[in-house]
Amino acid sequence: MVPLRESYTMPDHDRKPVDTDQIKALLHQKKRSMRLRLAACAGCTLCAESCFLFVSKGRDPRYMPSYKVLNSLGRLYRKKGKVSRAELEEMKDLLWKNCMLCERCYCPIGVDLPNMIAFARMILRSQGVYGVYPHSLGAPDGDGDETSDPRRQSDQGQGEAETNKAGSE
Amino acid sequence: MIIATKKQLEELKEMLRGYSKVLNVGCGGCTAVCLAGGQREVEDLNTQLAISFKADHVTFEIDSFTVERQCEMHFLSALDEIVKPYDALLSMACGAGVQFLAERYPDKPTFPALNTVFVGVNRDIGWYEERCKSCGECVLAMTGGICPIAMCAKGLLNGPCGGPQDGHCEVNSEVSCAWIKIHERLKAQGRLENILKICPVREWQDQVQGTLVLEPYRERYSRK
Repeated sequence: MVPLRESYTMPDHDRKPVDTDQIKALLHQKKRSMRLRLAACAGCTLCAESCFLFVSKGRDPRYMPSYKVLNSLGRLYRKKGKVSRAELEEMKDLLWKNCMLCERCYCPIGVDLPNMIAFARMILRSQGVYGVYPHSLGAPDGDGDETSDPRRQSDQGQGEAETNKAGSE
Repeated sequence: MIIATKKQLEELKEMLRGYSKVLNVGCGGCTAVCLAGGQREVEDLNTQLAISFKADHVTFEIDSFTVERQCEMHFLSALDEIVKPYDALLSMACGAGVQFLAERYPDKPTFPALNTVFVGVNRDIGWYEERCKSCGECVLAMTGGICPIAMCAKGLLNGPCGGPQDGHCEVNSEVSCAWIKIHERLKAQGRLENILKICPVREWQDQVQGTLVLEPYRERYSRK
């Protein structure tokens, strides 16, 4: 048996150049409907009120659904897919950190904002850029109170963690 | 959220044996958060499968595509064109997502890459604890926010049983007795009367397939 864990490495997208042709092809697939939706956005900001993150983050405009769409998918269309990895990383924060994709954002003129965010995410995923949950890297994202759980600091808590892990396996 | 764990590689190989072109479909929802079925885990698993089949001298090709959530049909629609050339699908979603994927593409054999374990909470990195059995008849209001169905080994509604020793369960001495914890919490809150009366027999609604249609939407779906 090949010792699998020692014989492979994870794909390292960071070192790969952005495949702008692939992005362009993906953008082209839904060009008509997406550009129509982008053009239809009147910037009325009414969608903002329906976003729980916008409301809970002190009404920070970066959490407005329209802002997230215009600065990710809109940007990709404006630049015809010619974006750098750094730009994709900027969009990643907008599309994953600033959006839960709960699909509850509401547009009074019927622009399907969640669908546009999902499409933008799909394009970023094709380049290996996607939301990595902060806890998976062991790095608190700073939004939550990471030290508030008393069990995490107690011996009793650690004991139960081991029990539960064994139980789940 | 829903917690899942990865299946053993040998089990997956056994499922996929005989299929030479497979699409591994990741899920960006719960299973990505519990580090079991997101895009990164999809790529990891594909690499392992490809190497392992190659070592066995078996022709095998596997590709990946991650959708935002496999439990929503409109996210799955992104796969409509993509799945066509594949012999089989491997899903890294929970059991619900696997079934929805199989329902959308009924002509494609669909296999689960994960074991769906429970509905739980995320205590810390890679540390998840079961908290809910989705029983459909929540009693948390009466039990001080501690679920006896999920936390008591016997699922007792009128506890504790005669088994606990030093506050621990007789089934597993390393686990605290749920009913003693319930008693302590209610006592601290001055609500012990909550559990003094006998809790009636339940309907155990989770024994049948659950479907929830919210009240304002009932008319809309009854027309179909």
